[in-house]
Amino acid sequence: MSTLAESRRPWLLLSPALGTLSFLLVAPLGFIVVYSFWLRTATGADMGGFHLDNWVEFFTDAFYHDILFYTVRVALITTILCAVVGYIPAYFIANTRMKNKALLLLLLMLPFWISYIIRTLSWINILGTGGAVNYVLMQLGIVNEPLQLLYNEPSVILGLMHYLLPFMILNVYVSLSGIDGNLVAAARTLGATPFGAFLKVTLPLSMPGLAAGSLLCFVLGAGTYITPLILGGPTNAMFANLIFEAIIIQLNWPLGAALSIVLLVVLGTVVTVYGRLMGLNQISKSFG
Amino acid sequence: MDDTKRYERLLQRYRDGDISRRGFFGLLGVAGIATGVMGTGLTAAGRQAMAAAAADPVQVRFDGWGGVVSEAFRKHAFNPYEQKTGNEVVEGTFASGDEFLTRVKAGQPGEYNLFHASGVFDYARYTDLGYGVTLNEDNIPNLKLVMPALQAPYREVTNGTLSAVPYDYGTTGIAYNRDHVSDEEVKELGAAILWSDKYAGKIGGWNDWRTRIWYGALKTGQDPNNIQDMDAVWEALREHREGLLKYWTSGAELMNLLASGEIYLTEAWSGRVAALQQQGENIGYHDPKNGFAWQECLMVLKGSPMAATEELVNFMLEPEVAIAVAEGQNYPPSLDPNKVDLGEKIPKLPAFDPTGTLDGLTFAKPAYWNGHEQEWSKMFGRIEKGY
Amino acid sequence: MTTTTQSRATPVASEAAERAAAAGGGVATRRRPGVRIPRPSGWSLIRLASILVYVFMFAPIAVVVLLSFNSSRFGTFPLEGFSFRWFEALWANDAIVSAFQTSLVLGFLTAIISTSIGIAASLAMVRYDFPGKGLINTALITPILVPEVVLGVALLLFLRWLSIPKSFLLLLMGHVLITLPFVVLVVQARLTAIKPVYEEAAKSLGANAWETFFRVTLPLLMPAVFAGMLFAFTISFDDVTATLFWKSGGTETVPTQIFAMLRNSISPEINALGTVMIVLTVSLPLIAGGLARWFARGGRG
Repeated sequence: MSTLAESRRPWLLLSPALGTLSFLLVAPLGFIVVYSFWLRTATGADMGGFHLDNWVEFFTDAFYHDILFYTVRVALITTILCAVVGYIPAYFIANTRMKNKALLLLLLMLPFWISYIIRTLSWINILGTGGAVNYVLMQLGIVNEPLQLLYNEPSVILGLMHYLLPFMILNVYVSLSGIDGNLVAAARTLGATPFGAFLKVTLPLSMPGLAAGSLLCFVLGAGTYITPLILGGPTNAMFANLIFEAIIIQLNWPLGAALSIVLLVVLGTVVTVYGRLMGLNQISKSFG
Repeated sequence: MDDTKRYERLLQRYRDGDISRRGFFGLLGVAGIATGVMGTGLTAAGRQAMAAAAADPVQVRFDGWGGVVSEAFRKHAFNPYEQKTGNEVVEGTFASGDEFLTRVKAGQPGEYNLFHASGVFDYARYTDLGYGVTLNEDNIPNLKLVMPALQAPYREVTNGTLSAVPYDYGTTGIAYNRDHVSDEEVKELGAAILWSDKYAGKIGGWNDWRTRIWYGALKTGQDPNNIQDMDAVWEALREHREGLLKYWTSGAELMNLLASGEIYLTEAWSGRVAALQQQGENIGYHDPKNGFAWQECLMVLKGSPMAATEELVNFMLEPEVAIAVAEGQNYPPSLDPNKVDLGEKIPKLPAFDPTGTLDGLTFAKPAYWNGHEQEWSKMFGRIEKGY
Repeated sequence: MTTTTQSRATPVASEAAERAAAAGGGVATRRRPGVRIPRPSGWSLIRLASILVYVFMFAPIAVVVLLSFNSSRFGTFPLEGFSFRWFEALWANDAIVSAFQTSLVLGFLTAIISTSIGIAASLAMVRYDFPGKGLINTALITPILVPEVVLGVALLLFLRWLSIPKSFLLLLMGHVLITLPFVVLVVQARLTAIKPVYEEAAKSLGANAWETFFRVTLPLLMPAVFAGMLFAFTISFDDVTATLFWKSGGTETVPTQIFAMLRNSISPEINALGTVMIVLTVSLPLIAGGLARWFARGGRG
């Protein structure tokens, strides 16, 4: 009996989450799949049936492939930068002797209290030709003419980093704060340099947090549409922009549905790979 | 359920004005917040059930732009309407007309009643999709104050009847920073100044396919309502992109770009430029020949409680309301200046036509633009992305 | 040298609660003051880099706070003059205040529900083996893989099919759905780092599953619980695309209010609201911490 109860327990624990998912996500996803085989008519109404037109369009039109590759590229660069830049403050918060660690973490979330659209627009006042950065550079005599810092790939990545860094830092922090400090101390006693101890002990033990943070950054970065719309130039559009346009502007739900499935499959593959790696991680833990 | 009732009673007293907002929040208190939430959830369901069971009082839903516009509507139209009729106006907002149409299409019949629509082509899109109604114009006496010139395009779409009343109008002309661009230059070049090499990198443009193609037609010397050489327009739009700093996406972004000196030149909505000018910004505005004029309306959707909605529309057409909204958003109202005294501010707004005939303005022909919508919006979507 | 981790193996619930309260939700250090490891070399460099990251994060906030005190309606630099008028306007603006209230309530409820569901799911994923685990792991993350505009439209189609009207409850459930992956990721990452040894020890001492969870697992999990709630609240508070589609008539959150202002101009009251939020966020933990210390000293100053 007890083994039966034991085998039921994970399902019991999962049931609220799976209930929410199946009602609010799986069923609507079914609609998306059905819709991707429909067609948009001239008035914007939808025509049911089984048509492969949207799929043929996606697979044969290089426009979509280019933007899909570009999206993966931008998301990847952003994720790597977030991992490198975000690890440092996470490490700082985990190891500082300051009392108010909670406050330091809360401060990271402050930008979110200001609506996404407003803080994205505010980069015009910071990086624009008449913005704060150019003002300082010109006052210091470093440049004679304002630099064009906005509306290119770096400004899109910068905007994305600003949005995603808190996710990275919090995830890494949560892992770092779980590391037994004595392990690092022990490594040092055994003759490891501080950096060696970091590489051998701290970094591997913080991998779950770093991986979770990276996954979030990649997935959220690849799914964004407002940041490239406001901070990007003509060549910085991302895949989610295409989906948004197909559904909202062109009222072409069937095409939008097909494109969403594409994005879902690409990102889902990344998550599955992540799941495999994290699974391995757990196995190695049980041996250690 | 007790808590729900208490909350509802509190809410009622608050709405009636018995208690101030501060008092209301105070009474809700920290523990009350949770109760309030449950109350909101339950009352929302309960209200719907009630509305289904008893037809009286009626709920009319209005969706519009937020900020000053909805404040003006609430104060001057909805509150008096609710007091007089006992009906309730439930307000919603949207960020763009396209987004709202998506919601209506995905929503349930009768869920949305009245909304602030842009452009006659939008009116045609909704009626084409079967969301239109036929208004009983006798129930809207204030319609007589509305310029016939603004009503005609809608009647043309729906065989002489109306599913909407015109509400305001404006133009999309050329806005320029007068510190850097002279009035003469803009007048001389007209739409072509947006292609000027001299200002390359300082030019903006709306990422709306209709506006872009309209200006592309002007640049290539074609009639925007009857474009013969579409390839020339696409080529012009690609060329425009080369000198462009940014495709802007909203009025708020447009104003930020213009006011911060990030761009010197762009086509812009008349009301937004007026708002900047009132604030003391040195921004000029010029409607080129055949510049893009447009009009907005209050549209009633299928499944609405007709009599109640028509009465609300009449309230919203009261000169006092229309003028307050117009002053808030800086677009002239649809009221005929020969019949209604529009006050001091409105005659000074750009795009305002004192004759009430609107002869000088060119509007988009809905059938023509909607007929090409699918193809053109897609094509511009690609040009916008550098293709 | 006593290891602090072992002393944490059987913490009592009250101690856990105390830690949670003191650290603003359980961000407890795992080292006792006596057991400090030497600071890594280059610590000052790390501190400097961290400060720079914070400066980067705060740059847009600085703009908003500055503009909230600007006397002019539009955000153009240089600022024209100092004024409190937008704060007064904010206080008088019922629409924004009630949207703010809705956002707060929605955010808090989302945080609580999403974190509870997420912890349960994470426990199942990390502590148990069962068929179909890989698939479920991916499914738990799926809500953030589907673009919100698609999720928004698709859910509406589903509801129309079922003839279910929109309601606050639906919006709340939708927010739980989109915040769940964040909670699951952060809790799972922490849970994999907590060795099952402690839980097994508690069980061998006679604790049942509930006691083990509340006395052993949850206290060790607190940093992740806190982070998860923070994520969930934040995502919910800032969400706009899905909320646009799911909100019912009369329901507005702060972001949807702002979105509706985009066509004309975003009123500066919004900047003032941002400033108020920031002041509250910074001051509340400080005040709470101060009060806690004051009470700990017996309220004698």
